[in-house]
Amino acid sequence: MEKLTIGIADMKLAKNQGTLVTYALGSCVGICLWDHLIKIGALVHIMLPINMETNRTSPFKYADTGIRLTLTKMEQMGARRARIVAKIAGGAKMFNVPGNGSLGNIGQRNVESVHQVLRMEGIRILKEDIGGSTARTLFFDVATGEGTVKVYGNVQRKL
Amino acid sequence: MSLNRFEEMNSIQIDALREIGSIGTSHAATSLSSLLGSEVRIPLPEVKILEFNQAVEELGGFETISAGVISVLSGQINGMMLALFGLDAINLLLDRMIGKTVSDYNELTDIESSAVIEVGNILISTFINALSNLTGVKISPSVPQVAIDMQGAMITVPMAAYGNQSNYIMLLGGTFIVDNKTIPCKLLLAPDVKSLNYLLYCLGIGE
Repeated sequence: MEKLTIGIADMKLAKNQGTLVTYALGSCVGICLWDHLIKIGALVHIMLPINMETNRTSPFKYADTGIRLTLTKMEQMGARRARIVAKIAGGAKMFNVPGNGSLGNIGQRNVESVHQVLRMEGIRILKEDIGGSTARTLFFDVATGEGTVKVYGNVQRKL
Repeated sequence: MSLNRFEEMNSIQIDALREIGSIGTSHAATSLSSLLGSEVRIPLPEVKILEFNQAVEELGGFETISAGVISVLSGQINGMMLALFGLDAINLLLDRMIGKTVSDYNELTDIESSAVIEVGNILISTFINALSNLTGVKISPSVPQVAIDMQGAMITVPMAAYGNQSNYIMLLGGTFIVDNKTIPCKLLLAPDVKSLNYLLYCLGIGE
């Protein structure tokens, strides 16, 4: 079966079948978006909460522009907004960096931004595996809508 | 005119950074050498300006497990310094320091983890001291923190911190050679763009 790898600040779509995978999410968040009826799935790997770039060269780096652009692309392929659901993983705090709040909690701010953007776009979150201090690899099966989170130490969790 | 992005650096500036890196890493090698009681060398360090995904691949892949020691730099420049140790490197260090080795990362107890942090700390502080003396820039590294996990997630920490400025990150670092054996330990200096400008300015090669 086809496996598509999504890098940092990247997004890929698949229809009917295929596994979307993104490796080692730390403070980054992986957002799986899925239309169950026509089996279109997308996975976005965002790194920062809000796009404040002037020329917006890398929309998938940010939660707001990344999610919105992905939804638009899914709709262009025939997905319906009302059917799209989301599963998210990531947003960890890898190092307990002292002081400096803005550096320390990027993961948490990413998750908050993802929540807010999904709520504004009317997308329901089915499941999430967020926070903590461990890296996650995220697999998303486009045929079934099932997600799998793999963490260090051979631990796998269903998403 | 100052740089807005890492990828705008010219070859003279990159050479100068490589030179700083070389001095920083050789100081770090000397201190590691006296700690371990063996010869430690670092071949000419590399300065690379890479796109995020390339940077992680370059350092050995996303899912590779490493012990990472990170220190946040403040003072006249802002940035982060990250030391990555593979299991071979950890075992070599532990063997020399406390006469013990482990077969997996999860066997590391508090004492062994603090030994790893300490080595990371020594490498980072000697590097920073050398950099500071050379440029006259005041830099204070924070208390180092350790994590043992997929290294991709650790390398993205400085990327996320300065990701608003660029899709590229500057990696300055080298691999250590202890008693002619290469140990997978990497030292990375990741300043933000503003600090890089200041550093280049202090070296007299800013634009």
